[in-house]
Parts: sequence; structure tokens; C-alpha cells
Amino acid sequence: MTTSSDRAVPETAGGSDAVQAELLRFLTARTRKPWTADADLFASGGLSSLFAMELVVHLERTYGIAIRGTDLRLENFRTVWRMAALVDRLRQPAPGGRGE
Amino acid sequence: MNDAVAVAASAVTALVGHRAAEWDRAGRLPTEVVRKLGAAGQLAPQIPTRYGGPGWSSADTGEFTAHVGSLCSSVRSVMTSQGMAAWAVERLAGPAQAAELLPRLATGDTAAVAFSEPQAGSDLSAVTTTVAVDGDSLLLTGRKVWVTAADHADLFLVLARLGEGGAVVVVPRGAPGVRVRRMADPLGCRAAGHAEVRFDAVRLPAGSLLGDGGQSLSLLATTALTYGRISVAWGCVGILRACVAAAGEHAGLRHQFGRPLGRHQLVARHLAELWAAEQVATRVCEHASRCWDDGSTDLVTATVLAKYVSAGQAVRGAAAAVQVLASAGAQDGHPVARAYRDAKLMEIIEGSTEMCQLLLADHVLSRW
Repeated sequence: MTTSSDRAVPETAGGSDAVQAELLRFLTARTRKPWTADADLFASGGLSSLFAMELVVHLERTYGIAIRGTDLRLENFRTVWRMAALVDRLRQPAPGGRGE
Repeated sequence: MNDAVAVAASAVTALVGHRAAEWDRAGRLPTEVVRKLGAAGQLAPQIPTRYGGPGWSSADTGEFTAHVGSLCSSVRSVMTSQGMAAWAVERLAGPAQAAELLPRLATGDTAAVAFSEPQAGSDLSAVTTTVAVDGDSLLLTGRKVWVTAADHADLFLVLARLGEGGAVVVVPRGAPGVRVRRMADPLGCRAAGHAEVRFDAVRLPAGSLLGDGGQSLSLLATTALTYGRISVAWGCVGILRACVAAAGEHAGLRHQFGRPLGRHQLVARHLAELWAAEQVATRVCEHASRCWDDGSTDLVTATVLAKYVSAGQAVRGAAAAVQVLASAGAQDGHPVARAYRDAKLMEIIEGSTEMCQLLLADHVLSRW
């Protein structure tokens, strides 16, 4: 693969703005470089599958979700958009509501 | 060590007794030993209580793993396989599959994880074992090597290609087309039942893929290995504890040139370094288990670090222990002789020392 690490994945935005913003902050703090919500994190020069595992742990802890089974595919973690969409899908409505 | 862990540790001490040397020389664990540990839930103590497991924390499981490792690395190795299989099921399986498989793994059925192939060791992207959907069932074909605990396993968890992605396939040992051939004379963990396993057009029900399959090969491997690495790392702590005990006792009792060996400075240095190795390995494993129990994102790196540091310390510590015991320990079956061979294998499995170094360097480069 010869594309750069900030190659855009052709897709539409997903997930809530708040989740996207938090994930971008996490990525920037963790990697010390800026990311965009549509950047392919695992393209050449990007991040490792070990980092993907870190993202799994981060999403589970931050949003109280369990990412199991079929959801553990790299495609779900490829962009901030996709992770935010995954969080929205898996987040259980807590008693009393927990909206954005 | 909390009470439940201490009770389990005493039970394993009684079960193993002084037989580890004999098992090492014979290259085989008695089936009833594996069955007994399996039935007690002690091969995979982290299986949650809702699935009938002990539900121990990583910290408690780690201390127990170190204890077992100090007695017999082959038994510890079987524990690592079972725990890794259970963790893979917990992470990758759908709810119904988990509810079916985990209670079995918590109460007696044993499982082995089949990842490596003749041409796919560190580079698991080179896996050629393939599972394909064939009508309303699955067809699995491939050959796996160095499958730890395969000799005792009722189930195999097989890493395979599925179309463009990957899958972990659950295969009963008795399925037609499964052939298990014991590996002769592995360097270390000789009684852990390593085997080559062939799958010749094995037909399986469609529900045999964990979580319907289609995950990425690298994420599947990383998931399972996270448990495997922390378990191996704690096993190395056990190896070091056995070495400290053997070297300390021998250096205090044996006299040469009119004083105990330990009062000769060059021998004393071995003792100091061996103790330091055990302490360093313990601390780095405790840190990884704390990350696991806290759900910290540092877990992934801490696990690689623990495995890398502990295996390296175990190799150097075991060599020092053999040096201190000299002729008294230089015989197959002796605790330090076993430690010497077992530790070297720990630098190879679950991510070689060099692969761990690459991962840790990658961590540095991604952060600074």
C-alpha cells in the first residue's frame, strides 16, 4: 500500500459529534499528531494492530460498552467516524437516559 | 495471595508433588492431572462466574500461574493454553456460543489454540489454513504445528482464513479429518503435549466460527495473545522463584574452600542477580495485571513488556542458577535444568523476544 496515513476512507460521517471529538483528542494525545475523523488509522505509516487493541480497550472503558464477536474487525476501528458509529450502536441506554 | 488462591495453590502443590522431574523425562503429563485441574476450574481461573468459572482477577490468576510455574512449566503451559482459549471465546464468540463453550472450559473440557504453521510463525498473515462455507456447513483444511497442550485437548481453536478476512474455528478433536501427532522431544515444557495437528477437509456445523468469523487475522491473534503473553510472563516469574529457592538453598548448604558457596563473592553475585531478576519480573507482571484488572489502555503494551522482560530475566536467571548448582543441577529433570530449557522456550513462544522488541519500538515511535 502506498497511500499516506491520512488517506481518507470514502464514506460518510458516523456517530455523535461528542464521541468523535473525544476520540480525536485521545488519538492526538496518544500519538502526538493530529488526525481527522475520516483518516485511515491503519494505512501505511499509520498505527498497528496492537494499537487497534488499545482502541478496543479505550472504547469499552470510556463508553461502558462490550465489543465482542463480529464487531472485533479492524474495519470498525479504521476511522474515527466508524468507531463513533460503533459506539452509538453498542451503547445501551442507561436507566434515566444518558444522551449526548 | 488471597484465600481462594492459596487453597488452589496448596492443592496444586500436593497434586504435582515431586513428580515434575519424572513428567519432564517421560515427556508426558498424566491425563488425570490435567483432568483434575480442569474439573476444578484451575486451568482457566479467569473465566467469569456467570459462566461457571472461578472469576479470578488477572492479579490473582497471575500469582497462581507463577506458583504452578515454579512447580512445573509443562502444567503451567497447559494452563496458558486453556486460559487463552477461554479468553478468545469470551472476546470473540457470540452470546450463545460463549454460554455453550465457557461452562465446558470451566469444568473439565480442555482446549488448545492452534495458530502457528510451518510457514507462519511470527508472521501470522501468512496463515494458509482455510475455512470455507460449503452449503450449510463449513470445510476446514490446513496444518498447524507447535500446538501446546494438543495432546490433552478436547477442542481446538484454529486460526484460519475465511475469504478476505480471518476466523477462529472451534473444532472437536473427534471430528473426522482431525489428526494429532505428538511432537517428539521439544526443548522445554517437554510434558505440555505439543503436537502437530492436521485438518483434512474437516466438515463442521456453520456455528463453529467464533462470532461468525470475518475478523482481521491480526486482531484475532493480538486478542488471544494478550492473555497468552501475560500468562507466560507470570510463568517466567515462577521459573525464577524455583531458581532462587534452589540456588539459595544450595549456596547456603554446600561448602567449598572452607565456607558456604554463597560466601564466595562470585557466587554471591549470581544470587543477587537472580533475586533481582525475580523481583523485576514480578513487578512488571503485577503492573500488567493491574492494567488488565483496571481496563487500562496501557494493558496491551504492558503485556508485551511483561512477557519480554520476564522471559529475558528467566533465561538469564535460570542460567545463573545452573551455574550455582553446577554438577548438582546439571541433569535432566532437576528443577534448574528444567528451568534452563523451559525459560529458553519462553523467549520464543507467544511472540519471540525480537517480535516483542519490534512492538515496543513501534510503541515508542508512535508516541514520541
